[in-house]
Amino acid sequence: MSGVLTVARLEFKLRIRAGRWRWLVGAWFVVLAVVTWLVRTAASQPNIVGESVERERTLGAVMFGVVVLVVLALALLVAPALAAQSVNGDRERGTLATLQVTRLRAGEIALGKLLASWGTALVFLAVTLPLALWCYQEGGLSVGRIAGVYLVTALLLGVVCSISLGLSAVLARSTTSGVLAYLTVFALAAGTAIAFGLVTASTQQTVSGSSRVCADATHCTETSYETTISRPDRTWWLLAPNPFVVLADSAPAGPVHGERLPNGQLVEVPADVDVLGSLSRELHRIRATPQRVEDQYGTAFAVPDGVTGGPVWPLGLGIDLALAAGALWLTTVRLRTPTHRLPRGQRVA
Amino acid sequence: MTLPDPGGGISARGVRRSFGPVHAVQGIDLDAPPGQVTALVGPNGAGKTTALLVLATLLTPDAGEVRVAGFDPVTQADQVRARMGWSPDVFGLYDTLTCQEYLEVMAAAYRLPIGVRTARAEQLLALARLPYPDAPVHTLSRGQKQRLGLARALVHDPAVLLLDEPASGLDPRSRVELRDLLRRLASEGRAVLVSSHILSDLEEVADRVVFVDHGRTVGQHEVGELPTARSARTYRLRAVDPAALQRALERVGVGWVAAGHAGIDVQVLGGEAAAARLLGELVAAEVAVTAFAPVGGSLEAAYLDLVEGQK
Repeated sequence: MSGVLTVARLEFKLRIRAGRWRWLVGAWFVVLAVVTWLVRTAASQPNIVGESVERERTLGAVMFGVVVLVVLALALLVAPALAAQSVNGDRERGTLATLQVTRLRAGEIALGKLLASWGTALVFLAVTLPLALWCYQEGGLSVGRIAGVYLVTALLLGVVCSISLGLSAVLARSTTSGVLAYLTVFALAAGTAIAFGLVTASTQQTVSGSSRVCADATHCTETSYETTISRPDRTWWLLAPNPFVVLADSAPAGPVHGERLPNGQLVEVPADVDVLGSLSRELHRIRATPQRVEDQYGTAFAVPDGVTGGPVWPLGLGIDLALAAGALWLTTVRLRTPTHRLPRGQRVA
Repeated sequence: MTLPDPGGGISARGVRRSFGPVHAVQGIDLDAPPGQVTALVGPNGAGKTTALLVLATLLTPDAGEVRVAGFDPVTQADQVRARMGWSPDVFGLYDTLTCQEYLEVMAAAYRLPIGVRTARAEQLLALARLPYPDAPVHTLSRGQKQRLGLARALVHDPAVLLLDEPASGLDPRSRVELRDLLRRLASEGRAVLVSSHILSDLEEVADRVVFVDHGRTVGQHEVGELPTARSARTYRLRAVDPAALQRALERVGVGWVAAGHAGIDVQVLGGEAAAARLLGELVAAEVAVTAFAPVGGSLEAAYLDLVEGQK
């Protein structure tokens, strides 16, 4: 364990001294603060969020939902840069072999490098905490929701760092691994959505339904027809590893508001105002299996109102963490010495 | 194939290593006993660096048996690393660290207790003649970086030292100091294996020499027992009257290769006996000879012999 800290401290020190971090982190904060302020201004417009009373109760949640998605998007762009040249960059500079001949184990070097890059990513995340507090001040947010969202964002950044590190260990050239790390992030963030859309569209199912037309209470004609429906309940898992999906779906319960049912009962339902909650409900809905529903107009295959499938994020986060663990394992294997194989065109020292 | 002296030093038998179609090392035997400086000598591409990488626990050999400080670098890498220091021919340093920080990090990597790291780093900076512990590494000269690399290899007080071209980039004074340092490290009972091209330096520091060529060991000798050169060897002659010397040389039928301020260089065939005979003839001819010495050391002669022989 002390070996891990030795490597992590070394790498962290090198990172801090290498670039203009203060300016970078400062610019990062300013950009996100402006985003938060703009979201607040937009969400305060009368036509955006319901009545004024409700607006006051949920404004913070609305702001927070947008801000964390922007934070995640920008952090996903920063994280690969922090790790994607970690191993092969050291090889190119000739500093890796001198570390490998010490008593540090391969796993310690791998984990230390991961901690250093992840730690740097977490600094960027931590800088946005004051903005989360601002959202909290505006109301509609629980501390648990903030904590949960930050925890999952932190894990997702660790996943991206670990995958990038693995690429830097497998590939000989640091430019190649850099490009591939960004492509991997793109594949997770956009590729999963594209794949889900295309696969769902091309695996539609033909079902039969019927429509009933009644001239009066006793004379009805029923005509059956065939139609195709999409079955996202069979393809939802393609979307699961998407970091935005994982983040939105794993966020602890959002704001609620009171709603009066037709029978006069008052229930609390999720306020349909924040983007995380809406996304999450949409995801639960696509997991639901369509059923044959019958009403006075005929029968059809559809997801009945109020029916939802389970959450998507446990599988998604599970896949992401498994990818990260695999990448860390691969890094360790590639750092192990004495080695049989060398990356193509690579000297050991 | 038995390995002599399993208790310490380095011994390797039949080491082979290929990189795809390239047979970098195809049969290296070498012994570097404790308390001695062993030179690894051979032309570029002879497999010196690959052999050192195998000894340094970084590459697995395809075949052969190796012991470093009594342990197998493949199956007992950690035990070897605890006792072995390695300085490669080309290496990087962490540019933004200071010398002190760099050595402290390395001390930590070698699992030295936290309390002794600072003192050990200071000690090594003094040894490597690096007077500014807080100087960032990127401000060092090439020679200073080389010395810092050597200090790194010594962080954990290793019993075996593997140095790949340690003299490259060093100025003459630093080379002399390196020589003295290597002698001192050996006299403390360490096994020191040095590969270098600067043969005149090696001759003065090495106790033993291992010649490698085309990936094979072609000879292991004590420096005092180097085989006498079979091919022609250049001697440099000076006399009070250079013109008389030239005339005398022409008379005995020895053609000179070059004449300059430093003296007259002649090719002598037939080893030291022939050289002694030539000197006798010149003295008998009453030439006032003031200098008569081989150009380059016996190591260089043996090395050139080896390279010539391979052609």
